[in-house]
Amino acid sequence: MTEQTPQDETREEEKQRREPRDAAYWAHYAETLKVTGVAEGATNINVEGRRAVGPLQGFGKLWQKTYRVSLEDAEVTPVEVIKTWKENYKDFWPEGNLFYAPLAGITPGEVALISGSLPGGVKLSTGVMVLYADDESFSLMTPEGHPFSGWITFSSFEEEGATVAQAQVLMRANDPLYELGLRMGGHKMEDEMWRKTLENLAAHFGVHEPVETNLLCVDPRLQWSHYRNIWHNAGIRSALYSITAPLRWRRNRVRQD
Amino acid sequence: MAVRHLNVEVRLEPGVAVLDLMGEINGFAEEALNAAYAEAEAKETNTILLNFEGVDYINSTGIALIVGLLARARASHRRLLACNLSEHYVEIFNITRLSDFMSVFPDEESAVVEASVS
Repeated sequence: MTEQTPQDETREEEKQRREPRDAAYWAHYAETLKVTGVAEGATNINVEGRRAVGPLQGFGKLWQKTYRVSLEDAEVTPVEVIKTWKENYKDFWPEGNLFYAPLAGITPGEVALISGSLPGGVKLSTGVMVLYADDESFSLMTPEGHPFSGWITFSSFEEEGATVAQAQVLMRANDPLYELGLRMGGHKMEDEMWRKTLENLAAHFGVHEPVETNLLCVDPRLQWSHYRNIWHNAGIRSALYSITAPLRWRRNRVRQD
Repeated sequence: MAVRHLNVEVRLEPGVAVLDLMGEINGFAEEALNAAYAEAEAKETNTILLNFEGVDYINSTGIALIVGLLARARASHRRLLACNLSEHYVEIFNITRLSDFMSVFPDEESAVVEASVS
């Protein structure tokens, strides 16, 4: 092992000074999303080439929804909770929604595909990008066309001597149709989904505590300048994709013949 | 992980209330950030400037807090500007697309000039 010279130490200090401590936790900027490897059963029709969008780019009211559960009875640290959550993310989702984790796992910049359903039973193919991931939290950011435009942050921390697991969604409905859908049962479906996710996570640690929900409307105004987001609506595009499946099948048959 | 909490000082420049942010912007920063923002609002300027020169850590919860401030600024018809972001934090503002809604200036002087002409 070689000893560090004062020059080496100065260089190391300079490097640390230039590179913020959070640098490794954030995704790098990319104009559009790129999916690396599509898992069997997943559909990549509404993610590749789309831009990631935050809560400011959406159409509807701005909501902050917080779901949390105390893991008081479990001997588990926040770091262990987040490690487990990242590794088993898809297993904690309620039935009916499929999360195709990226091959590299929940790491910054990776993109995951999602197959879910909207109110009325409409099938939806969409995805999320891992925006941020450290040892005690990670955040997902939605693409254009997703039902909402925003971030979901999963975190764990100590509160009054107990470890708490939390999911916090900061979102606007992406377009007028989604805003209508959220008001007509979509919010309720979403709340139920995250409550169930936290229940499943808690159950993994042997805890069966109720999930606390806090819903806060941060900005009640609609952003009418963003009504054109409907062009990317993943629900409409997924439905069209399903309807035109026989045509694609026939076209492929003709090509094979 | 040692946490360095956020300290915020509020001062008044011509037409601009400046929030000097020092430390980490994470979940623990909520109280300090909201209190400082309320103090800045009380100065009754049309523009509030967030000075990130002393910020050395932002996580995704911290970025969400800034979105909250933007919503408050919009509700009261104020402009919220940012200055002295390092290259890294400019990139984060681009990734999260905060920069679509918030003008970012390289230094306080240029931000104050912009605020005074608009």
